[in-house]
Amino acid sequence: MAKDEYQTDLTVVRQPVETAQGLPNAHYIDEGVFEEEKHAVLFANWAGLAVASEVPEIGDAKPIEFLGIPLLLVRDRADKVRVFQNTCRHRGMILVSEPKKIEGAIRCPYHSWCYSTAGKLVSTPHVGGAGFNTHEAINKDDLGLTEVRSHVYFDTVFINVDGKADPFEVVHADLLERWKEFDQPMYHGGADSCFDLEVTTNWKLAVENYCESYHLPWVHPGLNSYSRLEDHYHIQEPNKYSGQGTLVYKQLQGPDDAVFPDFRGLDEKWNTGAEYVAIYPNVLLGAQRDHCFSIVLQPNTLNSTTEHIHLYYAEPKTSEDMRSRNAHLWKTVFEEDIFVVEGMQKGRHSPLFDGGRFSPAMDGPTHNFHAWVAGKVQEHRDKQDA
Amino acid sequence: MSDLNDTILAAHARDDRRALVGLYTQAADQTNDINTVCFFLTYAYIYALELGHPDADALYARLDAHGRV
Repeated sequence: MAKDEYQTDLTVVRQPVETAQGLPNAHYIDEGVFEEEKHAVLFANWAGLAVASEVPEIGDAKPIEFLGIPLLLVRDRADKVRVFQNTCRHRGMILVSEPKKIEGAIRCPYHSWCYSTAGKLVSTPHVGGAGFNTHEAINKDDLGLTEVRSHVYFDTVFINVDGKADPFEVVHADLLERWKEFDQPMYHGGADSCFDLEVTTNWKLAVENYCESYHLPWVHPGLNSYSRLEDHYHIQEPNKYSGQGTLVYKQLQGPDDAVFPDFRGLDEKWNTGAEYVAIYPNVLLGAQRDHCFSIVLQPNTLNSTTEHIHLYYAEPKTSEDMRSRNAHLWKTVFEEDIFVVEGMQKGRHSPLFDGGRFSPAMDGPTHNFHAWVAGKVQEHRDKQDA
Repeated sequence: MSDLNDTILAAHARDDRRALVGLYTQAADQTNDINTVCFFLTYAYIYALELGHPDADALYARLDAHGRV
């Protein structure tokens, strides 16, 4: 955003929750601010792109567009998940247009320059003329695929597009420590354990709603019967992450009181505890004794978001019937949130809405997120002005 | 060569890259002109490389022998 263009006032957003107001309307309905946030918030930090289980086997490749950037998610020959720009270094052609297995090399469909799954340029056919596959001006070592910094945590593939963020383990050291007990194998439930929800809302509103438990009794009355509002606590780490925890997590029970197997070695607090954390900017994680989940919010446009939900278990083999019931349960819960996040999006077209006031008692985690976004946008503006 | 040419075109039409590895190798083997040999070997090698075909290393070695990779 150019200096002389309109900029939102973020001062009040960063005040203590008692006096703060939420992000101004423009952060939800203005294309210029969306573009500003794209760089300040989504490209400058560790944003969620996908889950590693989307490329489960060596050689699997999946093209994914992230805020207009064509990316390629690949599991390379060394079993490492990588993210590249899905663009040939020759003429900028899209390399892979649909999910596929790379048997040998990634071959550009235009002039057939070939890349290894680790991104190395391995062949440049006819580049020196017909039958001459080298040229002194073309140094293959300099022309590998452009790799985007990535890090996998909780099976979720995070990317730092601008390449300038601190390492993921540094930025999220607190959360990694908090949930270190879950640093163990978790198994994607498969096709019956993932689903997408398309919502007509700015991606931030999905984060904001996820962070807080205040809405549970009103929006999820079914949950309230066994997970009452007073059984929840706030999770809020300034400038890092926020969410909510419950003290009365109840496992799904199948026929004959069957339950999913537990993750190994968990502290007994997890017997009835569970935590739900928004890892900023756009990933929502859930940790429970017997299953976890990751929700990657894909910001499609200013007011269109796809929620990609994936469920994980402690063992590779679990009951298909139980998994199906569990996925159905969560889908019902997340669908109950849709009218809220879409309603808040519509509400932000009221020109005199001032960002809203927070409940100091109940909205701390949501304010934590607003303040983080405001801080990142301000940092970006300060750099632009410098 | 005309029959082989038709066979190659047919393999292209059905996007049968595995067949193209062998067919282009065959085309290379039917000529003595080094540039033409390397032209065809390049196609064979590239498709082999893409497919992880077992002939890829041998095709690379043939091109390498002529300083073409």
